[in-house]
Amino acid sequence: MNPSPFRRVAIGAVASLSLVLTACSGGSSGSAPELGDKPVTIRATWWGADARAQLTDEVIKAFEKKYPNITVKGQYKDWNGYWDALATTTAAKDSPDVVQMDELYLASYADRGALYDLGKAKKILSSSQFDDQALATGQIDGTQYALPVGVGVMSVLVNTDLFKKYGVQVPDDKTWTWDDYAKTAKELTDKSGGKIHGAAGAPGFSAGDVKYWARQHGENLFDKDGNVSLKPETLAGMWKYGLGLLSSGASVNTSTMVEDLTAGVTAGSFATGKAAMMGAYNTQITAIQQAAGAHVQLLQMPRVGDTKANFFKPSMYWAVSSQSAHPAEAAAFINFMLNDPKAADILKTERGIPANKAMLKHLQPTLAGTDKAAADYMNAVTPGESPVVTPNGGSGIEPELQRYSQEVYFKKTSPEAAAKAFIKELQGEIDAAK
Amino acid sequence: MTDRTEAVPPSLPAPRPPAIRRVRRAVRAPLKHCLLALCALTMLYPVLWMVVSSLRPNSEIFRSAGLALTHPRFENYSHGWNAFSQPFSHYMINSAIVVTGAILGNLLACSLAAYAFARLEFRAKRVWFAIMLVTIMLPIHVIIVPQYVLYSELGWVNTFLPLIVPKFLATDAFFIFLMVQFIRGIPREIDEAARIDGAGHARIFFHVILPLMVPALATTAIFTFIWTWNDFYTQLIYLTDPDMYTTPLALRTFVDQQSATDWGSVFAMSVVSLVPVFLVFLAGQRFLLRGIATTGGK
Amino acid sequence: MSSINELRRLRGSQRGARQQNKAAFFFLLPWFVGLFGITLGPMLASLYLSFTKYNLLQPPQFNGAENWTRMLDDERLHKSLEVTFSYVLVSVPLQLAMALGLALVLDKGVRGLAFYRSVFYLPSLIGGSVAIAVLWRAMFGTNGLVNEALALVGVQGQGWISEPGTALSTLVVLNVWTFGSPMVIFLAGLRQIPTSLYEAASVDGAKRWRQFRSITIPLLTPIIFFNLVLQIIHAFQTFTQAFVVSGGTGGPADSTLFFSLYLYQRGFGHFDMGYASALAWLLLLIVAAFTAVNFWASKYWVFYDD
Repeated sequence: MNPSPFRRVAIGAVASLSLVLTACSGGSSGSAPELGDKPVTIRATWWGADARAQLTDEVIKAFEKKYPNITVKGQYKDWNGYWDALATTTAAKDSPDVVQMDELYLASYADRGALYDLGKAKKILSSSQFDDQALATGQIDGTQYALPVGVGVMSVLVNTDLFKKYGVQVPDDKTWTWDDYAKTAKELTDKSGGKIHGAAGAPGFSAGDVKYWARQHGENLFDKDGNVSLKPETLAGMWKYGLGLLSSGASVNTSTMVEDLTAGVTAGSFATGKAAMMGAYNTQITAIQQAAGAHVQLLQMPRVGDTKANFFKPSMYWAVSSQSAHPAEAAAFINFMLNDPKAADILKTERGIPANKAMLKHLQPTLAGTDKAAADYMNAVTPGESPVVTPNGGSGIEPELQRYSQEVYFKKTSPEAAAKAFIKELQGEIDAAK
Repeated sequence: MTDRTEAVPPSLPAPRPPAIRRVRRAVRAPLKHCLLALCALTMLYPVLWMVVSSLRPNSEIFRSAGLALTHPRFENYSHGWNAFSQPFSHYMINSAIVVTGAILGNLLACSLAAYAFARLEFRAKRVWFAIMLVTIMLPIHVIIVPQYVLYSELGWVNTFLPLIVPKFLATDAFFIFLMVQFIRGIPREIDEAARIDGAGHARIFFHVILPLMVPALATTAIFTFIWTWNDFYTQLIYLTDPDMYTTPLALRTFVDQQSATDWGSVFAMSVVSLVPVFLVFLAGQRFLLRGIATTGGK
Repeated sequence: MSSINELRRLRGSQRGARQQNKAAFFFLLPWFVGLFGITLGPMLASLYLSFTKYNLLQPPQFNGAENWTRMLDDERLHKSLEVTFSYVLVSVPLQLAMALGLALVLDKGVRGLAFYRSVFYLPSLIGGSVAIAVLWRAMFGTNGLVNEALALVGVQGQGWISEPGTALSTLVVLNVWTFGSPMVIFLAGLRQIPTSLYEAASVDGAKRWRQFRSITIPLLTPIIFFNLVLQIIHAFQTFTQAFVVSGGTGGPADSTLFFSLYLYQRGFGHFDMGYASALAWLLLLIVAAFTAVNFWASKYWVFYDD
């Protein structure tokens, strides 16, 4: 028996134990990073499908041409796999250098020291073309941990073909209220003889629904300190409105909503022509119109009074891992993707309408069809102040909200009880993460 | 040495008058076939739906649960095949490498361990056996982080090693247990006879037991193939470079929750990736027919 | 004279035992290396983590038995136990009965066996793929095939997969549908029964039913036992199917919240890996208890030839 492989394996086992147990958060040095000219390889990771992979690979090639000493290795995964892999590699101190971030997870990573302070790399990574609203969406306690790639705003998508078919007027979205929305939806259901439904669901299946509902009542889901500040009555009000849509037949039933949720927006009731209106981010119009094969139009959200309830929601961010050995090069790559017209020409709006104003201006003349509609829509919206980023501990808000919404809509619990329980559970998760 | 095929009934002498038997068989066989065919159709319907959907445009896939196909569209196949930086065959070859390594590893290491558990007496045997079973009872999700640390220390991340080497170290205890059960089904007299002829354990294992457990080995190979081919999680974590991706990783990447998923391509490539698995099963199941029934019991 | 022989035999057997120990060590060497080198380290690490607060991104902090006491008031955990237990108790017997029944039919005596066997195995090949979510919705959704079939006979169906009352049942059906694995193992087991035994029985005039009862079943019991133990372990760990079909949520309204799914949500969704590790060890204890009972009971019904 040869002891050496045995010993190596044993050392490995001990190492695995001790590393997990003693791993210290990788603090990065305070000095500003500098670009060198030695050959450097960085890893960049993102979630997304085939189209995104192809475009990003093209951008990487253009970047490597401009910076011949830097090699970028791209890695892409599906949404769920992405977060599992990112958490695992970060836990093992082996995180990729450049990471695509989401609003849900930004604070969870930043608060735990996993992200690099981009302010240190100001000289390499410019943020001058982003307005303050957009920059704020990537800040935690005043530190810029991430830069938004694209932004979207909430909207109502309508299938105008179905409106025409059943002789229903597309409502005037400058003035409409939630009652108008319910009435229009019911009219569609009735006039189609139940063949289709007016609304592709009731609110409460995405965090955006709650944020919007809270803001139009002058509240916020989270306060500045990252605690839940939403009142249970307000949330219960949203669910009661949803129950109204369901009981009048204005909306597809609860089980269809559940099916749509797992099917995704491009395979749900709206995309398959079984419902005529749906709440969505304006940037989703391209994908949905493609899937629906019908004429789709963007309407403003219904309003309560004059409140500026709508808000910019970053579709995703770029960030640098605090474990990166090459923060300068990582920042340079992000700078290229966000600020270089060459990159914009390749990426266009695949990751959302650019949050960088100069890039949006650069692209504007080339936009057509639904991309143009989405960009025009965004210009027409006057959003309110940016909502507070989902706090550390709140990364599970979406499934949690969906669970309570389902319980309400399946009538297993009352809106009031569910609102109290939801807020308590969410606040509990946030407290536990502190 | 004749294969025990379907055509040979096990009972040679006829206990009943031939006429009655013939009538009974004439009724029974078609009935059996009808039932089996009905069963098979129910089982197959979802699979057929998937094949039909792979030939439909995206806008039609979710509108019909039926099988009617008016205009078959083969673009889904060409598009799916070329959707990533490498043609889809690249990912299938990667999968094939991983799968081959895993099968060899499992066959060798698990059969060795199984022989010890089934035929040898050694200290604390029952304790070791229990430990072996316990190792497959912990969910991967809590193992993955420490395991990743271990493999990254060994420099194995982004290689196929974390997916293959453990199989050569019999970490798939499922198959050890399977083989133990099969070896215990082999009459002891056979290896006693070999021992009297002066054979040691190595010879008994390789020349007597292994040939007799071909069905178990075939089962192991088939299962390893299918599980490794479909396994998603470990491959997701350990293969980081897209050029190293395997079939399931490529398939998953089609499905993006935020933008349009090209479901036609997903189904098309799912069908494509199913073909090798199905062929392997077709080929492999022939070996299930061999074994002690033909070689032993003399 | 006889005592000397006795002594010789005894010494021989002692030497035999030592030799067997040595031989066993070599046969088990790869497994030992794997156990101590790869498997045990991460297992023990997770055991330690189960006594810590560990958010994956920062070092774990020891917090004693807090994770374990927390389980007592965790309502979602209790729900997930309920879901998992009812799933195990229903789907394992159903799946095994189906697998054994069809294995017996497909063992011999029907033309086109290879074809049927392959057809019945096909579903198992796609059981965990991404396509299954869509497939299952196409079958059991509101507009799915099942409802279309029901409409033909004038019955108004429902969204089987999306109603809290029936969602779990569709996953049981999914599991039964993928009965191919135990079926293949049964088939291999049937093939291992020596034909000579049947021939001898036939000569004795034993009828088919007798043969089935006194040869086939007893000789198959080790394999039945194996399938039972393994399917129970697997059913307790059910993850992929539930994850894919419910989009990772365990919905609607937690009706398919399997234990492993909940554990995964805690560990990766909420960065609560300390608690997730504790949950994993609870699962291990439950599964180990079931397996131990199984092994104990096997003494009474499993027949070994050796």
